[in-house]
Amino acid sequence: MSRNRFQHTITRLHKMDEVERFFMKRRVNVANYIVLAMILILAARLWNLQILNGTGFRERSNSNRTKFLSTIAPRGNILDRNGKILVSNRPCFNVVWLRPDRRNSDRTIRKLAGILQVETGTLRDKIRNAADQSRYIPVTLAHDIDWHTLVYIENNNLSLPGIKVQVIPKRRFADPDLGFHLIGYLGEIGAKDLRSFAGDYKGGDLIGKSGIERTLENDLRGEKGHMILEIDSRGFLKEQEEVVKSLPGRDVYLTIDAELQKTAQDALGDNAGAVVMMEVNTGRVLALASTPSCDLERFSSGLNEIEWAALRHDKKNPSMNRAIQGKYPPGSTFKVVTAIAGIYEGLITPETRIKCTGAIRYGNRIFRCWKHRGHGQVTLEKALAQSCDVYFYILAEKLDIDTLAAYSRALGLGELTGISMEQEKAGLVATSAWKKERTGESWQRGETLSVAIGQGFNETTPIQICRLYATIANGGILYRPLLVERIVNPNGKTVREFTPEPIGRFDDPDGVFKIIRAALVQAVNDKHGTGGRAALAGITVAGKTGTSQVVHTSRFEGFKAKDIPKKYRDHAWFACFAPADKPEVAMAVLVEHGGHGGSVAAPIAHKVLQKYFNEKTKGKSTAATVGDKNKPLNQPTG
Amino acid sequence: MFKFDRRLFISLHWGVLSLSLLLAALGVINLYSATISMRAGHQIFMHQLAYYGLGTGIIVLILSVDYRFLLSINRISYVAVILLLAFALISGKQIAATSRWIDLGFFRLQPSELAKLALVISLASYYSRRDCCLATGLKDLLPTIAMTAVPFVLILLQPDLGTALMLIFIFCSMTFLIRVKWQTVTLLVGSAFAVVPVAWLWLLKPYQKRRILTLFNPEMDAHGAGYHIIQSKIAVGSGMLFGKGYIHGTQVHLNFLPERHTDFIFSVLAEEWGFLGSLFVIIAFFGLIVLIFEIAANARDKFGFMLAFGLGSLLLWQGFINIGMILGLLPVVGMPLPMFSYGGSSLITTMIAIGLLLNISMRKFMAGSPGLL
Repeated sequence: MSRNRFQHTITRLHKMDEVERFFMKRRVNVANYIVLAMILILAARLWNLQILNGTGFRERSNSNRTKFLSTIAPRGNILDRNGKILVSNRPCFNVVWLRPDRRNSDRTIRKLAGILQVETGTLRDKIRNAADQSRYIPVTLAHDIDWHTLVYIENNNLSLPGIKVQVIPKRRFADPDLGFHLIGYLGEIGAKDLRSFAGDYKGGDLIGKSGIERTLENDLRGEKGHMILEIDSRGFLKEQEEVVKSLPGRDVYLTIDAELQKTAQDALGDNAGAVVMMEVNTGRVLALASTPSCDLERFSSGLNEIEWAALRHDKKNPSMNRAIQGKYPPGSTFKVVTAIAGIYEGLITPETRIKCTGAIRYGNRIFRCWKHRGHGQVTLEKALAQSCDVYFYILAEKLDIDTLAAYSRALGLGELTGISMEQEKAGLVATSAWKKERTGESWQRGETLSVAIGQGFNETTPIQICRLYATIANGGILYRPLLVERIVNPNGKTVREFTPEPIGRFDDPDGVFKIIRAALVQAVNDKHGTGGRAALAGITVAGKTGTSQVVHTSRFEGFKAKDIPKKYRDHAWFACFAPADKPEVAMAVLVEHGGHGGSVAAPIAHKVLQKYFNEKTKGKSTAATVGDKNKPLNQPTG
Repeated sequence: MFKFDRRLFISLHWGVLSLSLLLAALGVINLYSATISMRAGHQIFMHQLAYYGLGTGIIVLILSVDYRFLLSINRISYVAVILLLAFALISGKQIAATSRWIDLGFFRLQPSELAKLALVISLASYYSRRDCCLATGLKDLLPTIAMTAVPFVLILLQPDLGTALMLIFIFCSMTFLIRVKWQTVTLLVGSAFAVVPVAWLWLLKPYQKRRILTLFNPEMDAHGAGYHIIQSKIAVGSGMLFGKGYIHGTQVHLNFLPERHTDFIFSVLAEEWGFLGSLFVIIAFFGLIVLIFEIAANARDKFGFMLAFGLGSLLLWQGFINIGMILGLLPVVGMPLPMFSYGGSSLITTMIAIGLLLNISMRKFMAGSPGLL
């Protein structure tokens, strides 16, 4: 390019007359207004976004990055009366998906499925199922992973955006076989509980479903905490902060003695049955066993549907708490009630003698004594000790059924004992009115005879029978059975204490209970007594056997117990208290289809009582342990 | 070599210089926050600083030469840019499915940025040879329309709708300085409207259509095309009056904002500095444009006038479209915010523009002699 040409170009541009400059400047002025307009447009928009709608956007920016999470409070521990921990907590590691704002999660899910060794579809299903929940609730993809998996996931968290391992407390059982019905299990809260339970429950939360876990749900559960998780756009966890700390639940000290509970359960063994042991002067329950039982650990990890179905269709019904829900005819254990009614109604005295010939005819029916040869001349004491049926048949001939029912009720039968556990059954005390209403037929006198010896319509639960014998032992006070001694705050402060609660009293001005007690001592300790196998050395046990008929016919008459099919065998009862002179504990043992009370139920009572007194003396001194008195006994039972 | 004239120094437009420095400083500070939590953020930030250094050198170089020197390289530079655009189109590095870049090894050149400059210079050169007061008809505008159309088509093919439209805006702005017949204006505007449906049906890429549609309803596709708009609106809005504080923007640092160091840089500023900070930057930026127009109005000659006005409108449209798009007023198009967005080509282009503008202001007193060297 030549310099000349350049110069030439320049000179051509020199000319810019004032007219042109004026014109262009006017255009620039217009442009300046356009600039001003632009400033105003942008400022107005800024005002709209940041000032008018700023709060909304600020919230959205917060929810963009934060997920809220409730943290589960560790439930309170459950301890026995000696402070032995029965149920506590352990950490359980769950894998959760934080549902970040992100489309492409396929790789993460595939990788996680590989680590967890499950199908990718399984995880996808879980995420899909949670699609209608609020986005801030993370989806649990794996429950209670093992240590190895946990370490693997934590080490690979950089390649697993949106995945977090959540630690939640889970129930740990000192002995998973101990006290399934007593302690109870947890499960996901149902729709009904969501409505009826106060507090911040959400779907998926665990709640006590049975036992102590249920009745003391409000004490055990503690308070949820709240956690804020900050995640970035790719789903990686940036920060987490527990803004409200969860508050652990309260500890519950039971009245139960774990050793006795265990002994009772073991003594029941494979039988279906129940053992209830109670302090006679307080109503504190020391053992509340029911078999068959379930594994608490298995229940706490959640049963699948097949297991539930198997449980529901199990003929032995292991989920039933027989100690408070099992309703059985009381058998001969009921005879004490008939005796008390007889004396107070002036129908008999302790000296009244009745001849037992093995059977009586009443109306057109034969009522047999269990001892077909007959007991001969029988007093009240002998009648109870040897469980003579005829004595009570003859007494019952003069006894009105409604009068007997009144005495039964006064002694706590046919009503809830008030133990703090859900679904206790009241049993049944039959009256003429009840029968009329139930069947439309009037009461037959003969039926009174059956009821008088504990057969027939009446139904009782083991805890009612236990409390009945405790009442006889303590002279007439009906205590509410207590399961919980005290409830303690996480900081160790006792917030509630449960004191003995007399809920009824049977006035005994004539000292009839004393006579009954003496007879019950004979039942265990006399060589003709039916409950001999419950006897202890050094401690006088007073008790009564019972055998409640299952089949109301004489189909199996004369058969030996072992020759009768199990389901037709009678229920075996044994009710007792000890020591007889200064009673401390009362107990009821029931073995379903066990046969005779004296041979099946009494030995179980013997084992538990022995344990009780051994424990006591062990605690006190080196005194000789309580042992078997007369082990080989070939007593007839009834 | 260069005879220093004291008047050069006195005439320098100090307002433009200081506002430019202020905006550049704010840009650097803001970019630091935008990049601090990015994986290669530090590297990006240091690159930008290096470009500033390079740009400063270029400005010094530009100031030492009379701007009228451009008249002599006008055609060469225009042709060179067209060739670069064509080259980029043929062999350009594929980034984000577009061929906008030419890889020079140490630097990825974006020729479309240079095309804006070349077009401004060419139009200024052409128009300065005309009498602005004479009503111009279509025939006399055809050369400038062609001058604009060639790079426009090349850039549109990359495809980069934002920069392509920028050329149209430059053409319109600079043509605004001359008197054009009403019939011609009507014809041009009419045919522009006629092109819209044609463009919608055949020319626009699906992603471009989606971006325009989502402008009207961003929630329609919250994870796809609408994501940018939604997240940037959340970022801006959540800044409220005072902002979340420097480096405390959550949208920024938790990576919810895509492209936050390039096209969406303003949302970082708005989130962290709030309404007050954003308004301050907007006023400073558009204030700079007004001062640039003042340089134009006081230019020594018509070429200087045209050039300064063209460069000013170039910055003006970029700023307005970029901020308007972040605030959800305009569709999302590739458009950096001068002096704030990361990007070497854009920054160098802006600094060349500032250099030229200062150059024009310095030499407003000069007479005929070009004072070249």
